Amino acid sequence: MSATVSMLIAVGIFIGTYILIITEVINKMLASLIGAFLLILTGILSQDIALRAIDWNVIFFLIGMMLVIAVLRRTGIFMYIAIKTAKLARGNPLLIMMLMFVVTAFSSAFLGSVTSIMILIPIILLICNELKITPVPYIITMVVASNMGGAATMIGDPPNIIIGSATDYDFLDFIFNLTPAIILATIACLGLIWVMYHGKLKVSRENRARMMSYKEEGLIKDKRMLKISLITVAVMLVLLALESTLKIGTASISMSAGLFLILVGQRNDIEHIMVHEVDWVTLFFFVGLFIIVEGLVQTGFISLLAHKVLELTHNQARPTSMAILWLSGILSAFIDNVPFVATMIPLIKQIGTVISQPNLMDPIWWSMSLGTCLGGNGTLIGASSNVVAIGITKKNGINISFMEFTKVSVAYTILSLIISSVYILIRYF
Amino acid sequence: MLLADFLEPSTIVYEQRILTREEVYKDIINRICQLRTDIVPNCGETLLELILEREKEAPMVYPSGIAIPHIRLEGLADTLIGMTFLQNPLNYDGIKVDWIVMIFTDKTSSKIYLNIVAALLKISEDEEMMTQLRSFNDGYAVVNYLRQCKIKVGQELCVADLMVKNPICVTPDTLLSKVDSLMNVHNISCIPVVDNEGRYLGEINILNILKVGMPDYLMMIDNVAFLRSYEPLESLFEKEEIVKAGEIMQKNTRVLSSDASIVETVYHMLKDNKRYFCVVDNGRLVGIITAMDIFRKVIKA
Repeated sequence: MSATVSMLIAVGIFIGTYILIITEVINKMLASLIGAFLLILTGILSQDIALRAIDWNVIFFLIGMMLVIAVLRRTGIFMYIAIKTAKLARGNPLLIMMLMFVVTAFSSAFLGSVTSIMILIPIILLICNELKITPVPYIITMVVASNMGGAATMIGDPPNIIIGSATDYDFLDFIFNLTPAIILATIACLGLIWVMYHGKLKVSRENRARMMSYKEEGLIKDKRMLKISLITVAVMLVLLALESTLKIGTASISMSAGLFLILVGQRNDIEHIMVHEVDWVTLFFFVGLFIIVEGLVQTGFISLLAHKVLELTHNQARPTSMAILWLSGILSAFIDNVPFVATMIPLIKQIGTVISQPNLMDPIWWSMSLGTCLGGNGTLIGASSNVVAIGITKKNGINISFMEFTKVSVAYTILSLIISSVYILIRYF
Repeated sequence: MLLADFLEPSTIVYEQRILTREEVYKDIINRICQLRTDIVPNCGETLLELILEREKEAPMVYPSGIAIPHIRLEGLADTLIGMTFLQNPLNYDGIKVDWIVMIFTDKTSSKIYLNIVAALLKISEDEEMMTQLRSFNDGYAVVNYLRQCKIKVGQELCVADLMVKNPICVTPDTLLSKVDSLMNVHNISCIPVVDNEGRYLGEINILNILKVGMPDYLMMIDNVAFLRSYEPLESLFEKEEIVKAGEIMQKNTRVLSSDASIVETVYHMLKDNKRYFCVVDNGRLVGIITAMDIFRKVIKA
């Protein structure tokens, strides 16, 4: 088979899989695995190369985090914080929205956006029901917060986990380079929330009294386990921060934390946790994606594309960064951001081998991270947490349409992308 | 279980000679002992004595012309049957017997034994079958014939025998208030939902009704210990006149057909953790079977 034919087949399988993923004609994990094994069957990739393309560091890191979260969830700490937050706002609807924004962003930064949404959305639905106010603006702003928070750290959103694993950047690099941008964007978004909703939401005293009667103290049943869990998470974060000197590997750190917590707290329930709380569908979706993208790398398509991008930006880091930030932002609003990042990583690595000054690669990587994570807010289908949140809401009889969501979320997306652009330009150039 | 599966052709004999009862028994015992050599040594004599002794106490002779001598053996762990069709009937205190069936059972297996006796009696009372059986001349023909006739050992209960027939049911537009009062009055926790032609659509149990007061988001929360009361649940009765059976019924639940066995029913009850199943034949609701029905009628009886 000639090189061009191989490349065309690889690109064909890639596009076919992406269409299936975007349109959701079939389950996206099924689509990605079928695409992956088609590449092997057609001889584009040998099985050996295909299996080696899977970033096991990402897969095991996620499994470890899922185990940690499974134990942490059972301590009741998330519920406790969410209820406490609502009570702290004393039933003031705007204040609840802003505080929940911060809580969601913070929780997403360390536990992942999808998990945070799955825990927090049902609670906000309950609170809004008790306060007799519409939950729609709360849902949308919390989804925005989850994608922003997830962008702040290496372990927040899957795109960052994948970037962290594929590059030499460590946990602290992400904190130093991304967190300031996210804090600025969060402040701006809180301002936007105030502008959009102040004076629009009213709560009666009677309903407020009902919410204030929540007894959140009852949520934490096992104080000892809570203490152990929080200390373990703290140790895990310290180890992640020291990873570049310790060289243990991020997957091993999260797996150790997860296995330790299971051993101490849930050893009798491990089979249930492995089957129900480790999200195998997502993990195997990633496995398929890694292989499909490897097809593009091995057939030379990625390097071809990299040269085209550099031609367009005249080999300059600044326009390249801006192009990647906005391109990522716009594209990942419509494509699930994980497949997008999985494709972009080899592309940017390729650019790194050609670009004139190697240290100018930093802003390019950070641009892509900010672009993909924040771009996920662009539309209802931009990121997994959007889809999950809308799914939960729909199950409760509240339909948020594509337009209704996008109308609001696009404002936050553009605002946060502008702030990110300014941040990148000022900080790196 | 089929009677034919208990039989061995080598232990089934057609006898033309004129023999005494002892001679006939001895012959059958010898044939059975060839199946299981571990019943020997010396089994012929002692076994014969045991059988004759037992027969003196309670003769197993029936007016239809069959004698069923029987012996229980410690540690046999099997049921062995031998039989002889006699050209010249034997006289058992006035009853002419031309079919002798000897059964060896284990000390413990009385149920199977009784069921086999019942099956044999049924055959012996059936003139047509007896004429057929007498017309053969070897064991293979007997076993084949009984297999063809599907003579069963013991009755096999099925759902239709234990279910409640024509259970109380509602249609999709029945109001919740009506469903509630039916459950209350008849003291039941499940009501099938059918259309006007009696076709099964779904079922409502007591939990489906309580679920009306518990929205999905509440079910997605990890822990609701912080809630001391919840208004929608407490004001569930307000919805009684609004909510219809069709809206809250469970669809696509497992149903059983009326010929399903009891073991299958219990199997699904345990697997699905459910105490009752609707019984549906060709799409039509015919009954409802509950764990309590099975408990009462099978275990306690």
